[in-house]
Amino acid sequence: MNDRAGKIQLGIGAIVAAVLFVAVVIPNFVSAPSNVPNVILSPRFWPNAIALFTGLTGIGLLLTALRHPEDERETPVDVDHRGMALLRLSGVAMVMLATVYAMPRLGLVWTTMVAFIAVAFLVRTHHPVSAVISAVAIPLLLYAFFAHVAGVAIPQGEIVRLP
Amino acid sequence: MSIVDSMLAGLALVANFESFLALGAGVAIGVIGGAIPGLSATMAVALTLPFTFAMSPITGILLLLGVYKGGVFGGSIPAILIKTPGSPASSATVIDGYPMAENGQAGKALGMALWASCTADLISNLSLILFAGWLASFALSFGPPEFFALILFSLTIIAGVSGDSLLKGALSAMLGLMLATVGLDLVYGTNRFTFGNPNMMGGLNFIAVLIGLFAIPEIIAMVWNPKAHDGNTRSLGRNWVTFQDYRKCFRSIVRGSFIGVFLGSIPGIGAAPSAFLSYSEARRKSPNRENFGKGEIEGVAASEAGNNGVAGATLIPLLALGVPGDVITAIIMGAFMVHGLQPGPMMFVLNVDIIYGLFIGLIVSSVFLFAIGSIAIRGFKYVADIPRGVLLPAVLVLCIFGVYAVNNNLFDVGVMFAMGWVGFVMLRYEVPAAPFLIAFILGPLLEDNFRQAMLMSGSNPVILFRGPITWFFWALTTITVVAIARAGLRASRGSVLAGDPK
Repeated sequence: MNDRAGKIQLGIGAIVAAVLFVAVVIPNFVSAPSNVPNVILSPRFWPNAIALFTGLTGIGLLLTALRHPEDERETPVDVDHRGMALLRLSGVAMVMLATVYAMPRLGLVWTTMVAFIAVAFLVRTHHPVSAVISAVAIPLLLYAFFAHVAGVAIPQGEIVRLP
Repeated sequence: MSIVDSMLAGLALVANFESFLALGAGVAIGVIGGAIPGLSATMAVALTLPFTFAMSPITGILLLLGVYKGGVFGGSIPAILIKTPGSPASSATVIDGYPMAENGQAGKALGMALWASCTADLISNLSLILFAGWLASFALSFGPPEFFALILFSLTIIAGVSGDSLLKGALSAMLGLMLATVGLDLVYGTNRFTFGNPNMMGGLNFIAVLIGLFAIPEIIAMVWNPKAHDGNTRSLGRNWVTFQDYRKCFRSIVRGSFIGVFLGSIPGIGAAPSAFLSYSEARRKSPNRENFGKGEIEGVAASEAGNNGVAGATLIPLLALGVPGDVITAIIMGAFMVHGLQPGPMMFVLNVDIIYGLFIGLIVSSVFLFAIGSIAIRGFKYVADIPRGVLLPAVLVLCIFGVYAVNNNLFDVGVMFAMGWVGFVMLRYEVPAAPFLIAFILGPLLEDNFRQAMLMSGSNPVILFRGPITWFFWALTTITVVAIARAGLRASRGSVLAGDPK
């Protein structure tokens, strides 16, 4: 992807988002009382104004990209194997999703230990032993601070409970 | 309350072991955070923020200010030793700092960086003390139309100068403004984009959005392309900076400090342009100008003075007007709000003891920076050796605990992850994140002042141009847009004429 293609994608994205907001999202998900004396004071005015400016910015980006077809600056290739990189990205997305779902059941400490190891594996750490030691020690230390010093009720889960 | 009474009230607030310990710890965390390539001062401040919840407001804010000050200096250590700036602000330091390190004068370069940083920091703090109160007393006469015009100007300049394209910056700001509308309407109390979820009625949590935007994308980016940091640390050499060197560079340091103060007090400019401007001015005025770029100590002094001169001055618009000057001050503004304080002119009336307490703390921070910085220079080898494959998973765990601790709410962790992906996409498309975050913070304020102005005038928009103050800000906004658009056009035309794709 080059800079021009990026601007075109951003421009189209912004225009589509603006249209969706004005036509679908704002009318359905922003409640406005029927007795608002002036449209400017309505709760819908501000989101509509932002959507309008987003659309205009999108048009601006699109025009800028189309006006300079010569601007084909290539974004430097930053990964050797794109397929593997995408696989790793899906992996980290799964880790995040699993973290959100596991936290109430396993507790914050155990979940973050697993998440630590999973992310260390995904970034292909050269120090697996340090990673495992840190994966156990860091969540425990943070638990000790937040639960016993800051007085935050850290979710403990249903399996192993910490003091 | 007289100024002496205010100072004594401030002193009473900070003259305790806890405050100074927080300040010292903050500087140490900042130096370490800034010195680790890939962590940056911004991330260090963001990650420290959750630890301040259990502290008193003044202690917590002093801790963050310490991290900020330490982080700005810390960035210069890897810039000099391994040619990797810890933050963009330290990029100018590489130009002469790294050649000095290659010539076996790393210790001398780091010593000068520290001396210049501390001097600039002190000048910047004194400027803050001198100008913030004056600006705040002036801002007390601002009404909603004036605040609306001021915030609009700040957003325009931040959107314009944060990235390489005004339009990308504007898009980022629009996304931030839209996200800020989530929650209950400010006037009517009706739902906006809450999708029936009670967790969203109070709006999205600022810290979840902040950490999601700035820390999580770094982790995702490392997963996308895991490459171990391959820089090698080098010995500091036997050559140390002397008072004679400092005296030789003093003019450049003072000049750079004032450049930093001036640029730092304008919201959005930030430390990197200040460092480069200070460096180029020093080169222009120096008798050794041909040695610049080859390891000239004055170059290191000027660039470090330029970027540290910004550190106190960015607090001028924050404390006096309630408008953050950059991302780090936006985070610090969030800390004020978490502790129930609203920065701005009224703070000089309602919480003058906290203001003066912060001023005293800031002056002391320059001394701490000198002491802790001297130790950090020698200890950098250990900091640089932390493998990124262990560091970034640790940052993830820290983010999860920190974000959860704000409201004891697991929903915020989900928001953080979602924002992390938004931040990663923005990173890939080179859309700057700073306008997003600052628009997210200032959005409710902008809308609130707009609607108050409309209520005052019976929905007549002419009120937004009601007097010299609003004219002044509208004129600045127009000039900013025209100047940035012209610069962008000229740059793209130049690259096309030169046949060199930009």
